Amino acid sequence: MSSEKIAHEEIVRIKLNDTQMRENLMTAMHTLQKNRLKVIENKFEDWEGLRTKAKKAKNNALMSLKDRLLEFEKNAQKNGMKVHWASSDEDACELIYELMKQKKITKILKGKSMASEEIGLNHYLEKKGIKAIETDLGELILQLNGESPVHIVVPAIHRNRNEVGQIFKEKLGAKLESEPEKLNAIAREHLRAEFEELKLGLSGVNFAMSKEGAFWLIENEGNGRMCTTAPDIHIALCGIEKVMESFEDAATMVSLLTPSATGQFIPTYNNIITAPRKNGDLDGPKEVHIILFDHHRSDMLAHEDYYEALRCIRCGACMNFCPVYDQIGGHTYQTIYPGPIGEVISPNLFGIDQTGDILNFCSLCGRCSEVCPVKIPLAELIRKLRADKVGQRQNPPLGAEFMHKNKGESFVFKQFKNLATNGERWRFSLSKAHYFNYFIQNFKHSLPVIKKWSAFKELPQIKKDLYKEVQNIQGVVYE
Amino acid sequence: MKKIYFYATCLGTAAMQESIINAIKLLTREGIEVIFKKNQTCCAQPSFNSGYFKESKEIALYNVNLFEKDYPIVVPSGSCAGMMSHDYIELFKKDKELERVEKFSKRIIELSQYLDKVLNVNYEDKGEPIKVTWHSNCHALRVQKSIESSKNLIKRLKNVELIDLEYEEECCGFGGTFSVKEPEISNAMVKTKIKDIQNTGVKYLISGDGGCLLNIDGTMKKMGLDIKGVHLYDFLLKRIEGERL
Ligand code: SF4
Repeated sequence: MSSEKIAHEEIVRIKLNDTQMRENLMTAMHTLQKNRLKVIENKFEDWEGLRTKAKKAKNNALMSLKDRLLEFEKNAQKNGMKVHWASSDEDACELIYELMKQKKITKILKGKSMASEEIGLNHYLEKKGIKAIETDLGELILQLNGESPVHIVVPAIHRNRNEVGQIFKEKLGAKLESEPEKLNAIAREHLRAEFEELKLGLSGVNFAMSKEGAFWLIENEGNGRMCTTAPDIHIALCGIEKVMESFEDAATMVSLLTPSATGQFIPTYNNIITAPRKNGDLDGPKEVHIILFDHHRSDMLAHEDYYEALRCIRCGACMNFCPVYDQIGGHTYQTIYPGPIGEVISPNLFGIDQTGDILNFCSLCGRCSEVCPVKIPLAELIRKLRADKVGQRQNPPLGAEFMHKNKGESFVFKQFKNLATNGERWRFSLSKAHYFNYFIQNFKHSLPVIKKWSAFKELPQIKKDLYKEVQNIQGVVYE
Repeated sequence: MKKIYFYATCLGTAAMQESIINAIKLLTREGIEVIFKKNQTCCAQPSFNSGYFKESKEIALYNVNLFEKDYPIVVPSGSCAGMMSHDYIELFKKDKELERVEKFSKRIIELSQYLDKVLNVNYEDKGEPIKVTWHSNCHALRVQKSIESSKNLIKRLKNVELIDLEYEEECCGFGGTFSVKEPEISNAMVKTKIKDIQNTGVKYLISGDGGCLLNIDGTMKKMGLDIKGVHLYDFLLKRIEGERL
């Protein structure tokens, strides 16, 4: 995570003023939404049943995670892969660096991997003088432009093709283009040169199968496949929650993932990696390493509620459908995982004291829970994290002890409770005072932005005393 | 005669009295005896959504105790109804009061569901032919699931044409305290919603939720638009009484 965080209100203001980004994002999100609905309607007979099945399969894997991991280790080793364990983000980075040092490699080509973003790999390697080169088209655009991903599936979706053409022109010296095919050709040419001297390729993992000791990678461009087949060494970075029991279980997940993410029925490329190159094989890496990393996932797994977020298959549907994400984009969250799922896992992975402010980015409309293919109750979990933030729950996530408590706000809600549990006083104040005035006056101390409500909206005109009126309606018993 | 408790909601009591009175009249004209508890307050949604679970539980139990008799509790808001029928149970999941709360929650019904599904009302539309569009409240849509009934009631009016709103299932940005805590984002959201409403070309936006209306209509007024936000229950009563909107 970057250390130079911009103040919450400031970043919101900056991003809301970025009209180009918002327009790009809004158009893209609406397309993704429509695609998803279309594919579910046209290609699936029992989408809901599939969701239930996936939830169960993933829960089974999580509930027996220790066995799954050991089984995976055993079988993957049997298949000739090397399995490493990392408990922290730092550990995982170090492991990769050590491997590179051993092999005297100074350049690394990466397929798209949110896990590598999570552990801050590029940054870590850069400090050691090693260049990590992104091969995913979206990631490449961002890398050239010095940006972080805005979305977990489509990392550069906030940029339109004209902007991409501009970036290619400026950073690669290419001719100014805006046609997708031409832009692709520019990227291909640029990357081909990098692929030529490829020694080490790094990828993420979509699903790992413990019974088979293998893992599954899906992608759309084929560049990821270059990273996993062309070099001598392939390192796969895998959060421990990605390990499932069987190939069938993983297949259920894949069939939910692409429709949810982009509205495609199936991914363009499915790579199932079972072993390094064998005698007689024409290609494939000579060594396959897989790093199983924890980074607070076991803490989440032990939590009575937040474990549910470990079911996440990183499809991004929750952000595609989030009306807040739509307006502000992923960078406003200032954490690797934005959107609804980010609001749930970022506090758990990086500390609620560091990322708790993003819990505000939710109107609790509940659409994320509705679309999540593995039925994570995202809105409920966000609400629970809010309760953790104000110190009202037993089992708070990482960093809660450093949380700054908003005393003014908690005072307001205590007052609100006193009033709402006393009918006489409530009636007295409502028949006398303007409801919004009450809130506005009382929120003032804890929420200085309250004035903006009336800056943006007309307030309703209060003309009547309901209590008096109700008593005059025939057929009403007022008691 | 059927007896029901009527839950006016805090917003209704404080800021939208006219709509609440009209909602009650929709019940009494069907011959329902409406019991209005004068000591009713709020469903606790503001504190619940802000994470103040302790305070919310106290308010919830206050309500459970207040509406003691076994009558249905009719709520003219999908948002508050969803809170009391669904979220209360979530809130008390691990508490000894759960059973009592569940019994209470089962009695909650949104007014349009009551009119549509229980009473199966028959409305004679006395108004001029008009076109309207509809805004769904998120909680009504996804928690209380009362939108279908609300629309059914509108569809019974023979002179009213209901035009679909694009991206209807997208939040208007009210979200209770969300609009207070993140007013800029909320404003960006409602502006997007208003653009969609303008695209329908209609002059009336109907919604069954007071909060969303305060938000959308308040902003449209501030913008000086010629589109009026009308509460569902005002709309229905005026149509069947032949009153102008
Ligand atoms: S939380 Fe659900 S919808 Fe969001 S990315 Fe994960 S699996 Fe997809």
